[in-house]
Amino acid sequence: MSAAFVVGVLVAAGVFLLLRPGLLRVVLGFVLLGHAVNVVLLAAGGLGRRTAALEEVGPDTADPLPQAFVLTAIVITFGITIHLLGLLRRGAGGPTSGADPTGGGSGTESTDETDDTDTGGDDTGGNGTVGRRR
Amino acid sequence: MILAVALAWQVGLAACVPLLVRRFGRNAGYPLAAGYLTGAALLLSRLPVILDDREVAVAWRWLPGLEVHAALRMDALGLVFALLALGVGALIMAYCPRYLDGTEVEQERVYVTMTLFAAAMLGLVLADDLLVLFVFWELTSILSFVLIGQGGRPAATGPAVQALLVTVAGGLALLAAIVLLAVHVGTTSLDTIVAEPERLSGGPAWVVGALIIVAAFTKSAQLPFHFWLPGAMVAITPVSAYLHAATMVKAGIYLLMRFSAVFAGSWAWDGTLIAVGLLTAILGALLALRQYDLKALLAYSTVSQLGLLVGVIGVGTPAADAAAILYTVAHALFKATLFMLVGIIDHQAGSRDVRELAGLHRVMPATVSLTALAAMSMAGLPPTIGFVGKEAIFESLGEAHGGWWLGWCAAGLGVLASVLTFAYAARLVHGMVEGPPRQRQLREPSWAFLAPAAVAAVVATALGPTVAVLSPLVERAANDARPEGTPPYLAFWHGFTPALGLSLLTVLLGVLMFLGRVRVDRWLRAVPTTPPFAELLERARQALLHTGSIVARTAHASSPAPYLARPLLAAVALAAVAAVALPDLPAGLGGDPARPGDWLMLGLLVTALGGLLVVRSALAAIGLTGVVGLLLSAWFLTVGAPDVALTLMLVEVLTAVVVMLALRQQPRRLAHVGRRVSVTGAALLAVATGVAAAAGTAVLTGRDRLSDPGRWYLDRAEELTGGANVVNTILVDFRALDTLGEAVVLAVVALGLVRLAAGRPIEPANVEPAGEDLVLGLAYRVLAPVMLLASAVLFLRGHEETGGGFIGALLAGTAVGLGQLAHPGGAPLLSRLRSAPLAAAGLLTATVAGLVPLAAGRPLFTPLSVALPGPVPSLSTSLLFDLGIYLMVLALVVAAVRRLGVPPARPVVPSEAGGAR
Repeated sequence: MSAAFVVGVLVAAGVFLLLRPGLLRVVLGFVLLGHAVNVVLLAAGGLGRRTAALEEVGPDTADPLPQAFVLTAIVITFGITIHLLGLLRRGAGGPTSGADPTGGGSGTESTDETDDTDTGGDDTGGNGTVGRRR
Repeated sequence: MILAVALAWQVGLAACVPLLVRRFGRNAGYPLAAGYLTGAALLLSRLPVILDDREVAVAWRWLPGLEVHAALRMDALGLVFALLALGVGALIMAYCPRYLDGTEVEQERVYVTMTLFAAAMLGLVLADDLLVLFVFWELTSILSFVLIGQGGRPAATGPAVQALLVTVAGGLALLAAIVLLAVHVGTTSLDTIVAEPERLSGGPAWVVGALIIVAAFTKSAQLPFHFWLPGAMVAITPVSAYLHAATMVKAGIYLLMRFSAVFAGSWAWDGTLIAVGLLTAILGALLALRQYDLKALLAYSTVSQLGLLVGVIGVGTPAADAAAILYTVAHALFKATLFMLVGIIDHQAGSRDVRELAGLHRVMPATVSLTALAAMSMAGLPPTIGFVGKEAIFESLGEAHGGWWLGWCAAGLGVLASVLTFAYAARLVHGMVEGPPRQRQLREPSWAFLAPAAVAAVVATALGPTVAVLSPLVERAANDARPEGTPPYLAFWHGFTPALGLSLLTVLLGVLMFLGRVRVDRWLRAVPTTPPFAELLERARQALLHTGSIVARTAHASSPAPYLARPLLAAVALAAVAAVALPDLPAGLGGDPARPGDWLMLGLLVTALGGLLVVRSALAAIGLTGVVGLLLSAWFLTVGAPDVALTLMLVEVLTAVVVMLALRQQPRRLAHVGRRVSVTGAALLAVATGVAAAAGTAVLTGRDRLSDPGRWYLDRAEELTGGANVVNTILVDFRALDTLGEAVVLAVVALGLVRLAAGRPIEPANVEPAGEDLVLGLAYRVLAPVMLLASAVLFLRGHEETGGGFIGALLAGTAVGLGQLAHPGGAPLLSRLRSAPLAAAGLLTATVAGLVPLAAGRPLFTPLSVALPGPVPSLSTSLLFDLGIYLMVLALVVAAVRRLGVPPARPVVPSEAGGAR
């Protein structure tokens, strides 16, 4: 029963953070939602048996399959979190939005972000090739 | 087998292009042409077999569940089209080097794409399974798109997209037809479907027929889809000559011929082909007559000639099939020649406008004579192959069954189209001959430039009197298209037949029309233009894009909350519906027995989360998120998941490190939570979602028995893999392909980060010198070796005990993170790691580990182990695979730490930034 409560509070907190301004909150809310899903996966295997599957197999041995799923899910969530952070640093939503990445700072970051877009190798590279071929 | 070899040879040629270009530069076209001819010779070596009415075939199992085979088969019909693709391809390749001389296109890209296109075309005409055919069909569309839009010229983008939209829409129709055939006939084998047409009948037959017609008409530019072809003429001339005159547009003709055996004799099929084909033939010719741009003239002429071909296929007699095949060959030859020559003229004179080319024959006599020769073929004058082809077409059009008037009508329309063809061919040549030369400084092109076109022109002419050479093959091919009797023997001179009379009539009327060209021109200008299908399509596309932007408008808000709320609301609504509509829940579920420790954990969790929701310090928020993760990992330890717990713990530490690194330059405080009303709304939605999630978890999870797969893994894992850590064996042995996919996701994220942060190099100069921290530096020096050692141990023992690639790499990654924190300018030793090579090495290692068993005759990813002598532990592919995972995870961590850890570059001069846009 406890797993349900754990999932409930994690989801509620995660959703609340997602719906608040500031991209850092979105990232953190996403992390919480990831946790919630992992708990659901483990709970799906049943939490009645709680002995690690390393020793002799007994009636109390936990189901290893959900654990394998959760293990990779954790690492994938980590990857996505990092990607979100990369996007957060790059800028909120392109040059038009002008939104501050974390939602609370001064204007200096946004200049930095626009600048990043322009000095980015792919952008200029793309334009450059067009120009050359023309 | 020879078919697969030919196909592989062509793909191999494409792969060799970079080497050839490096070695020969622009002249890489010549070895490529030789390569094409080799492929053609390879196929021709089977000619005796094919003329003997046997076939060359090869097949592999592809999708056994759907009974789809990767099957190739070559009969005479396929051979004719394959030879066209390779033969004309060789000419075009030999034409490319000199043509590309003066242009700025990227030759390597052109050569690679064209060679791949030839391979796709080859596959298309050799495919014996409809799905295989479809794959190649789509490939030709896509490669055509790439070639039209080549170089990303702004002027080419619109036509390229239009051509792609039309041809791909036809591709979808073809796919739908294939699915219907698979469902109703029960097979996708082209051979079976064509051999047993009676298996398809009734309603489905109508739908399939219509879909096939749509597919063929889009590809072969028939009304009302014809407009993409003239648009495609923005491409460079070799592309126009090869794709949009000789080969790709013939794919539709090929499809119609293949399926004419299935729908033979159906009045709807025949009637549609005859009516639309001949209408297109006349309309295309009228439009061609209005053009001054020679390339546009040739494009509309192609539309017109394709229409003639479609009309003849609709007649559906053996003679008509033979005529269509012969004329396909003829058209490919003379049209490719004309395109090449127009390209030469454009190249030399700088213009394709017929009004500016007056008197060209005085300065470029050879070019103009060759043009005249090819134009004679186009106009259907003896002694060219065009004459023989057109004779055959007149003869078969007259035989259209379904009433004597139909034959007369068809023949009459065919003659009309041919008269118009004669007129524009005459106009094309006349424009170059008449009057004094406008540009006296022009010179003949080099013989190397002219040679491919000359070869094609001479072949097209010589094949007229010697057409009997082609007769056996064409006869056989016509029989393949529709096994209903033998077509008449092809001959240059048939005696005084009605067809000869029609040819004479054509010439007579054509000459009259040419003589009265001033009046004809005036009359042509007065004729209203065709319905603007192209504009309609463009408008529909714009409307679609506009609708899309309306739908997406809310997603462009600077705050993601409004659109994130929608799926959440949907989830809550779904849960509510489920609560009402699902009264019966499976027995045995209903939550797990909780233990005292669980409630303690829950209490701590709620406290941490509560704190997280109210703090405004970014640091505190990150710390509290870490606390939540650590609480969960402790709880995972208590529920018997030590691997999961260890992974989560390391991930939490790493996440904290990376977030700190990433946000070093960011404000220390979170944004204000917002207005009270919106906070209340968010809180309500959050609570509702939380309740739904909790209820769902309570109701739907918590089995009291071990799951069957779980039981199986527990019982068999050690015996099958030799590993005691069941979770790890699932990851690296049983579900290795899954794990590989997941690790690839991580590698992609790593590479994405590298791209995202591109242009932000790691330079010590970028970092403030104050970044070095004495305490952290000491900690790094002491801890890093220990962590690396522990990482290695955890990795190596993963199969037996808690540990493995994921965990080991995360620990090593933590050391890298620590190094970055301690030495922002680059930590000793670990700063040498680079994420892209790591990711590549990891992917390679894991893939090799998966493939090794295959070489040993076992299924993919079966664990294999090699016992080594002495104290060295046995070496297994599982360990190798885990090493690959290790490297990919490490790549991700390195990318994160390195790319997010470096402060953003200083702003450059704003004007420069503006100029780059």
